[in-house]
Amino acid sequence: MDEIVGLAPSGSLGSGYNVESFNRALDANPDFIGQDAGSTDMGPTHLGDGVLFFPESSYRHDLSLMLNAAREREIPLLVGSCITAGTRGQLGQAVAMVKDLAREAGHSFKMAVIDAELDKDYLKKRLADGAFQSLGPEGELTPADIDRSSHIVAQMGVEPFIRALEAGADVIIAGRACDDVIFAALPVMKGFDKGLSLHMGKILECAGLSASPIDLQEPLIGRIRDDHFVVEPGNADLRCTTVSVASHSLYERTDPCIQPGPGGVNDLSETVFEQLDERSVKVSGSRFISDSVYKVKLEGAEVIGYRSIVMSGIRDAIMISQIDDILEEARERVRLRFGAVDDGEYHLDFHIYGKNAVMRMLEPETDHVPLEIGLLINVVAKTQDLANAVAMHARGTLGHTSYPGIITTAGNLAFPFSPFNVPVGPACRFSLYHLMPLDDPCECFPMEMITVGGA
Amino acid sequence: MVGTRLAKIIELAKVIRSKNAGPFEITFDIMFADAGIYDKVKNSGVITSKLIARLYNISHNEVLVCRPYDPAQAFKITIRRPTASGDLMESDVYGCQQHMPLTTIEVPWEE
Repeated sequence: MDEIVGLAPSGSLGSGYNVESFNRALDANPDFIGQDAGSTDMGPTHLGDGVLFFPESSYRHDLSLMLNAAREREIPLLVGSCITAGTRGQLGQAVAMVKDLAREAGHSFKMAVIDAELDKDYLKKRLADGAFQSLGPEGELTPADIDRSSHIVAQMGVEPFIRALEAGADVIIAGRACDDVIFAALPVMKGFDKGLSLHMGKILECAGLSASPIDLQEPLIGRIRDDHFVVEPGNADLRCTTVSVASHSLYERTDPCIQPGPGGVNDLSETVFEQLDERSVKVSGSRFISDSVYKVKLEGAEVIGYRSIVMSGIRDAIMISQIDDILEEARERVRLRFGAVDDGEYHLDFHIYGKNAVMRMLEPETDHVPLEIGLLINVVAKTQDLANAVAMHARGTLGHTSYPGIITTAGNLAFPFSPFNVPVGPACRFSLYHLMPLDDPCECFPMEMITVGGA
Repeated sequence: MVGTRLAKIIELAKVIRSKNAGPFEITFDIMFADAGIYDKVKNSGVITSKLIARLYNISHNEVLVCRPYDPAQAFKITIRRPTASGDLMESDVYGCQQHMPLTTIEVPWEE
């Protein structure tokens, strides 16, 4: 086999994709379709509480098109990080959707389901064998941290995907996976260079984010060969340029040269990007260096309370000139009623949009006086009721408080909708972000092979 | 006439962006469309960990990476997040609006 062609419909399952570009990309005769369906980018709540990022209808829409295309052409469809955080529950939701879609379309195929959520007893046993290296959280990881987490997943490498392909899977629905391995699995299985395969995966996993102009909803085609790979957008009006592809090689990575993943690092220090023709870029020189001990990244999140918010606007210049003092007084009123924040029952936060709400501690320009302020009252408390009560008490205080020089006595806050208070539900935090050594790259990623339809 | 002025990086770079690199880091990319401009910025030695720490008012130790990357004609800078993504006191879960202080970087420029 001289080359393997991979097709990525979009950078994120559920975001939608340009169907015309997708159909055009299918003319490139892809050997597989790969789709990334998750990330930590949307924050900890999707992992801690298990809620999906998009509504189910968005996932069904996207899955349906790629499933039909893959089955018509009898090429593998690989979907990783199902769906959003890659928990067992979210994986189950993806499997149910695929079964439904297959029944509706009359498809029959072999589907491998790969679980990436870890059982706490297994993790604690692993932890007893030796500490996990932290990639973020302070302090040493303890069994109590594991117990407190609602879900803990591991990012799988190419190996569990390869095992599924070798077992004859037509469709692979996987829990949390390192994004690039979804696209690297088939090339690596067929003997293509692992560094190039992973680098191509890194470019494909966000699809049109590597194109110019940039568009997450535009499909991308990758062709891996002996000593290089080539990428081009499915849309004839878009281009890949050396800048757009090199740019994406850096995207969301800590270090440009050393990009760690399951089982090793991809070294991009000698990578060469060349403009092959107007719309495609050739990449060579990326090298995978295996670690002596195979490690996977763990992600865990815990529920820390319940969130409640109030959104409002302030236009009064006299109030705006004193906003910090006024908010401090509101905090004091909340303290009198509900006790100190330090007691741990609630956390009250004011986001002053127009004045350092976006960068906060990192903001260098703090003296700016805005024309108007968007004030977000953001409360996390032990119960939803307490969160609502604190948010509404802060709102009521601010809405009708007095301050020096006040000229309005009717009210201080403009509300953009009714009701003023929005209960948000569970608030979460990332509790684990660690490396765990494995004896076998597949050991914590059990696979189930399901026959869908009449196959 | 040949003279030296201070050029703003926003006039020299094509892309200046920020984004999470995982939930505990924010990474910045400064990218140049022109190899000559990239080389001049790189050789100026202006972009250092110390500068980044000053721009964001953080400690030197919190700047994890600050290096040029020739294959992409880019500078890569990574800092530790003030809070983990989505934790209490968060203001930018995805980390994509933290890049503006970089636009104030000035580079000595010979015309």
